[in-house]
Parts: sequence; structure tokens; C-alpha cells
Amino acid sequence: MSDVQPADPAALAAANRGLSRVWIDLESGLATVPVIDRLLRGRLRIEDYRSLLLNLRQQVVEGGRWISRAASSLGAGHEELRSMFIRHAGAEHRDFLHLEANYIAAGGDPSLIRTTPKNIGSEALSAWMFHAASQNDPVGLLGAMFVIEGLGEKLARPWADLAQRQLGLPDAAFTFLRYHGENDGDHLDMFDRALALAVTDARIADDVVRHARVTARLYRLQLEEIDHV
Amino acid sequence: MRHAYITATGSHLPGPPVDNEGIERHIGVVSPAASRLGRLVLRQNRIRTRHYAMDAEGVTTTTVARMGADAARDLLARAELSPSAITHLATATSQADGMVPGLASGVHRELGLPPLEIASCQSVCASAMMALKNAWLQVAAGEHDASLVVGAEFSSRYFRPGFYLETDTIDAEGRLSGDADFLRWTLSDGAGALLVEPRPAVHGLSLRIDWISLRSFADRFEPCMTGGIACAADGARTPWSHHPSAAEAARRGAFTLRQDANALRAMLPVWLGELMRLVDEGRIGIDEVDWFVCHYSAHSLREEMIRLATRAGCMIPEDRWFTNLYEKGNVGAASLFLLLDDLLRSGRLTAGQTILCAVPESGQCLIGYARMTVVEN
Repeated sequence: MSDVQPADPAALAAANRGLSRVWIDLESGLATVPVIDRLLRGRLRIEDYRSLLLNLRQQVVEGGRWISRAASSLGAGHEELRSMFIRHAGAEHRDFLHLEANYIAAGGDPSLIRTTPKNIGSEALSAWMFHAASQNDPVGLLGAMFVIEGLGEKLARPWADLAQRQLGLPDAAFTFLRYHGENDGDHLDMFDRALALAVTDARIADDVVRHARVTARLYRLQLEEIDHV
Repeated sequence: MRHAYITATGSHLPGPPVDNEGIERHIGVVSPAASRLGRLVLRQNRIRTRHYAMDAEGVTTTTVARMGADAARDLLARAELSPSAITHLATATSQADGMVPGLASGVHRELGLPPLEIASCQSVCASAMMALKNAWLQVAAGEHDASLVVGAEFSSRYFRPGFYLETDTIDAEGRLSGDADFLRWTLSDGAGALLVEPRPAVHGLSLRIDWISLRSFADRFEPCMTGGIACAADGARTPWSHHPSAAEAARRGAFTLRQDANALRAMLPVWLGELMRLVDEGRIGIDEVDWFVCHYSAHSLREEMIRLATRAGCMIPEDRWFTNLYEKGNVGAASLFLLLDDLLRSGRLTAGQTILCAVPESGQCLIGYARMTVVEN
């Protein structure tokens, strides 16, 4: 548990309930996305895995950027939260290099992954993130982080294991997913602290959950729109 | 809809309580390695005694249907109506005596009641909630005025060494696959029964059923607990009926009861998420729960559960939890009814109290919650 004394324990609990429910709905939704459905059914093709990495990369490359922008939009009184955002951006902003290396290890063309535009869902997700990060004091974005970090903590490793079993590729093709599986648990501990600091009333709790809901839907859209650029 | 009440309860636990040292006298010894794992599992689930419907030689004189009927007879001895007034029977079990027909037919026959409507609910633990919801709605809708709900399990019949020998479930060194061994030390036998009527009992306390919520999450979970399905080393599952012969299905281990205990960790947030939904929708307030009647068996998950529940404001203080797991064992689909039977007979209930029941099922992930209010006529 977090060492931060929450300003409004009831609002913080409501935010945690809302986030848990967003997560449950997201998992239901993801299981219906064609590429994830094939992964879960053991019917993934290597082209699917390469497409997945190619399509994820265009959004991951911007992860450090929107978190940095959110940090710069946090005004006076949010110093501790801003420090967390800055550390988080620093930890994540070169992640896409892992992803590119995995794509190449899976037989992908390096020039293609660096030049392919975002798919339609990634465009929407990225535009939403930068829009939200540009608002004054965008503490609701913690909801977006919850979704993105949750994907890493809860799904990345099982997905990597399933894909490797089906495709027989070397470990070098899965370091991006596995890194998140191993480290996003720490990030979520940090997230618990940030949430306890940020949720000072019921309005902010609602805002955090709303950001999570929008982000979860757009993340799913990104996977639904694979290769639709 | 009118109100419906649990007006009487009953139970049947076969034979004397069996302590941890006595387990293998009933379910037999598979191998020294299996016995070692057993001690580990018992440390985790902390069950001290349970009941088996077979004697020390593996001989049985009862059936799932008969145990269900015995629990119903225990109930009828305390009910305020004649057996012939019962017009609806709903049963819950993980596995009836046969694959066909359903358990309710067998219980009906054993009880010798006149013709009545039946429903046979088959799943794992949460089939208890399915049967109870069926009975509650039948009575609330005005279709029936007395519904008998029976849950019964006879898991130990799967656990005798003869069910594993010469199958793929056991290796050359006599080790059972972990998913099979785990359950041998977890499940035991018995039956419980409830009576649902549209009015509270005249004598003593009744439980008004406020709502029952049941939800499956099989959209994202693979089967975690299986019977009748062969599981190959690579994880591939083949139903017994897809084998060339019944003998071949048996050799491949299709008739082993299994549970992937590791999958439980992934189900926990989903089970708790359902409680959070019910809190957010205003159907239950955590502070109003006087008794939390939760069918649980995995102590190893306890810490994680407390962490998740606490931060979501959904932790029910432990002094309000009611369990009989440690003395009566994990009796699957009968457990909820055995819990309610013990709680009603405990003398600790008072009119006006709120009970929240929870029955998670690992089969392919579902969970049932029910809210009840203690009433006195």
C-alpha cells in the first residue's frame, strides 16, 4: 500500500473501484479483437506478431512525450506528482527501441517500422493523450496511465509467452513485452502513490476513471485497426 | 415480484469427520511424492477435518442423489410444511452420479415426493447460486410456493488411486500431475439444502433474499477446472468423447478432475471487481454487511485479496466473515448451503442483519453474490 495519507479516502476508494471495473471491461473487449482472439486461441501467425509490433511502435514512441507534456502542464501544488511524471517519462521514452529490435528479431524490415504512419486507432489514442496532457493540471491522466501500465503488468507477459509458444521465435523477439511484464508492477506501486496524492475529491476521482475509460476504448481501437493506416 | 425467504435449511455430511492424518485411509495412497504435496496443500488451505462418502477400503454405500436427499430430509424435519407441499426442486453439483440424467431427477426419486418441477444446475461451486437463483425467481414470480434447493458433491470418488493408475495423469515415478494432485487434498463430500417460500417461517429466523447476481467471465479465461477432458503436456484439451474409445479416453486421463491453481491469481481481481460493481451500483454498502459468507479455499490468495479490496474501499472486516471450511472442508456446490445452515443454527444472527454471500468459481471464472436480510416473523 501507498505511504501517502489520502486527502479523501472515500473518493480514492471510488476511483480504485472505477479503475478496476474499467480494467475488467477492457479485458472483455480485448478478447474480442481479431488479433488477440487468434493469440488466445493459439492461431497466431508470424505476420500477426510483426503487425502487432509495427502498429504498437507508432504509439509507444510517443509515450515519453505525452507524459512529459503532462508533467509540464501540472501547475503549482503538484510538485510531487510532477516529479513522478518526469521520472516515469524518463524511464519509458526509449522503450520503442526495444520494440524495434524485437520486430527485427521477428524478421521485420527495420525501415518499415520506422516510417509506417500510425493506424487510425493510434491516431485517435495519441491525439487524445496529447489533448489531455495539454490541459491545466491534467491529473485525470493517471487513469490513462493505469490502463497503459496495467496492459504491461497484467497482459504483456502472458501475451509474450503465448506468442512465443505459437511462433517458436527466440527470446530476443519478446524483450519489449517481457520488460513490461516484469517492471510495470513497480510502476503500478508508484501509480498507487500518485493516485493517493491526486484524488482529493469525488470530482477528480470521476475524472481519473473517465480518462481510463476513454483510453481503454481507444487502446482497443488501436488493436482493432491494425494495418489500417 | 413478491419477496422470497429461506425458511429452513438442512445438511448431510457422510461418516465421521476425517482429520488430515486420516485422508489417505479414505482416498488411498498414490505415491510418496503425492503425499508430500498433500501436506503442502493442507498447510495452504488449513482444512483440519472433512467428510468422505467412502470408507477406508474405498467402498461406498451412497450416491450424490442420496446425499442430496439426506440433506433435504434433515431440512424437512425442521420445516413448517409437509413434504408434499414442495412443488419445485433445484439442484446444484459439479458432477451428478451419471453424465445423464440430471441430479434433480435422482434427488426427486430418492425423496419419493409427488411429481414436481425440477431444474438441474451443473457447473462447479457457483452452481449453488444458479440453483438458488432459480428457486428464488420461481417463488418470487408466483410460479411456486415452496422450492427445495439441494447442493451435493461426491468428489472423493475421483481421488482413489485406481482412477489414476495406467493413465497419463501419473508418470513412471508415480507422481501425479500437479493439477490433479492439488484437488485430492482440497475437495470432500456432503450435501446441503435450503427451502424457499414466499413468507418467513413462523418459528425462528428466516433469510429474505434481496438479490442474487451471477456473472461469467469465460470470455477471457480458459477452463481452469476440468473433468471429462484430457489435458496433454502442451496444454491441449480433448473432450472424452473425442477419443476413439472410452478406454482410450480413460488412458489419456480424461476422467481426472483437475484444477490449475495458478490461474486463480488472475481471476481474483475479476471476482472482486464484481463486488465493486455492486457497491458502485448501490446494491450493497460495505459498512452494512453484518455477515460475509464467502466460499473460499485458497488461503494463498488472501493477502492479495485484502490489498485489492482495501484500496477500493471494499474490505469487509474479518470479524464479520463466517466460514466452516476448516471443519467441514470444501464441499463445492454444497458449501454455500452448508454455510447458511451453520450460520442460521449458530444462534449468532439477529433480525435486521444483512448477509452478503459470495461464491467464486474457478471452473472457467464466474462469481455469484447474494444479499440477504435476517427476518423474524
